[in-house]
Amino acid sequence: MSERAAGNIYDLGYRNYRGVRLGRRHALFALYVHSLRGVFGIGRGISSKVFPIGLAIVILVPAAFQLGIAAIADNTIEVLRAEDYYGYVQIILALFCTAVAPELVGRDQRTQTLPLYFSRALKRDDYALAKWGALVTAMLVLTVVPQAVLFVGNGMAGNDLSGYLKDEWEQVPAILGSALLLSLMTAGIGLAIAAQTSRRAYSSVAILATFVLASAIAAILLEASDPDVGRFSLLLSPFHLVRGFTLWFFGVSPDAESQIGRADLPGAIYAMSALLIASLTIILLLRRYQRITA
Amino acid sequence: MTLVHTESLTKRYPGVTALDGLTLELEPGIIGLVGANGAGKSTLIKILLGLLEPTSGRAELLGFDVAQQGIELRQYVGYMPEHECLPTDVSATEFVAHMAQISGLPRTAARERTAETLRLVGLFEERYREMRGYSTGMKQRVKLAQALVHDPQLMLLDEPTNGLDPAGRDEMLELVGRISREFGIAIIMASHLLGEIERVCDHLVEIEGGRLVRSAPIASLTEQTQVLAVEVDGPAEALALRLREHGLDVREDGRLLLVQVDDDGLYDTIRDTVVDLGLGLIRLEQRRQRLEDLFRAPVAVEEEEGASV
Repeated sequence: MSERAAGNIYDLGYRNYRGVRLGRRHALFALYVHSLRGVFGIGRGISSKVFPIGLAIVILVPAAFQLGIAAIADNTIEVLRAEDYYGYVQIILALFCTAVAPELVGRDQRTQTLPLYFSRALKRDDYALAKWGALVTAMLVLTVVPQAVLFVGNGMAGNDLSGYLKDEWEQVPAILGSALLLSLMTAGIGLAIAAQTSRRAYSSVAILATFVLASAIAAILLEASDPDVGRFSLLLSPFHLVRGFTLWFFGVSPDAESQIGRADLPGAIYAMSALLIASLTIILLLRRYQRITA
Repeated sequence: MTLVHTESLTKRYPGVTALDGLTLELEPGIIGLVGANGAGKSTLIKILLGLLEPTSGRAELLGFDVAQQGIELRQYVGYMPEHECLPTDVSATEFVAHMAQISGLPRTAARERTAETLRLVGLFEERYREMRGYSTGMKQRVKLAQALVHDPQLMLLDEPTNGLDPAGRDEMLELVGRISREFGIAIIMASHLLGEIERVCDHLVEIEGGRLVRSAPIASLTEQTQVLAVEVDGPAEALALRLREHGLDVREDGRLLLVQVDDDGLYDTIRDTVVDLGLGLIRLEQRRQRLEDLFRAPVAVEEEEGASV
């Protein structure tokens, strides 16, 4: 009764909408923004924020460490180099992808919200691309921001920031290029797996296993099997690919004792392999949404 | 303008034909879509929304081809599914505003209309809370709101009163009626409850096994019958007895007496008899046929089938 009474007070009547309808591109962009906010739990409860924001902070720790040293120490101390950064934080990047990809695409399947999207001004491909764009952007934030902090930290370590920037500016394309390729590949893997099921537990395990097991198997094959065969197994391991193409982007030769060094593959092959995985995963993602029943 | 136009619309699944050459032409109004479970109601709605592709045939909504002009069309269509479809960890405000944008509304307009629409469906302070704690009634209101927020020209409602208590049902049906009559939005409403269809709809479409059984204005299906319903305060049996003595055909139906109309003097006869007996006359009306009378036989069969499974 009280609700009905309140309705009489607040009900100001319905007005027809005579404004513009912006169509498909607007819908796609709105879904992209909504999804990107959702990745970091913005507009959602505190429990949705803990993991993504926490990992985003943790991933900054090594860079912030370098910045701190630069602030305290007098001499030039470059503890961390940009091309080595992903080696320290790769497991955090994998965990981030594991945490957010299933939420990003699994939630709408779990709560059966997809029919509401597909019955609007949006194609199935648009839905998949908006989700994909959101995760690629989030991964870029998690790679470029620490690299930027590290860049400033290393610059300050020399006590001559402007001189450092002048000397090292050619690092910038390498930083951006490696970050972009890493984001495209990682987001692709995460979403292509997560979109297959509405069950969060399954997709999380599958994503993390893809990163960690592929890395372990590649390392074992490199050790144990015929080196002419084993070294190519690195091309199926995302962690090794990231290491390989990052060194290539920065024009740094791998340590001869490292796995990348022993595999002795041309650096461009890592980049091409990563690009191939990124492309294949997009195709898988688009196909999944063409077929999913809504 | 024609609301719905389909030409031999067919949807086949392996082993099942969900829609079988359905040809339909409907004008704007409140259209009730009835049929047993599996008759093809939801399949038809999903094809009209572009969620399913027909095996053959074509369909137009609001003059747009469903397959060719789907994006443009769906800016003017709202859909309330039968199943649950709401995310749990966002508020109704956040969700409905988002859905308005996906339907093509600019951000500011989406926000404004969300507030208005949620107020209209009767969601107040709780609209800022996460939806996980909502009652079924509140969820149904949000589902209705997201279908209405972008001011569509047509809303497709699949069992909108599903899971609601009687009071919630009344409110939902009242809203559906208002949306159509006051806001000028055409409605197609699937329901298996004929009473609901009869209350709010002005046109009925019945499908069975994917085929059209009938498409007719409700008014033509509920024509007046040659039966008078009489209700008195007092013993109806005495009245029935006395009326039969006058040679009238009287049936008892609960507290009502149903009298077959034969000539114009009947009203006077009943009035005089009631007065003679010292009873109070509560109701004396010519009966309308109810939709349920039309469907009574098939429904009974269906229930037996249901019971035997």
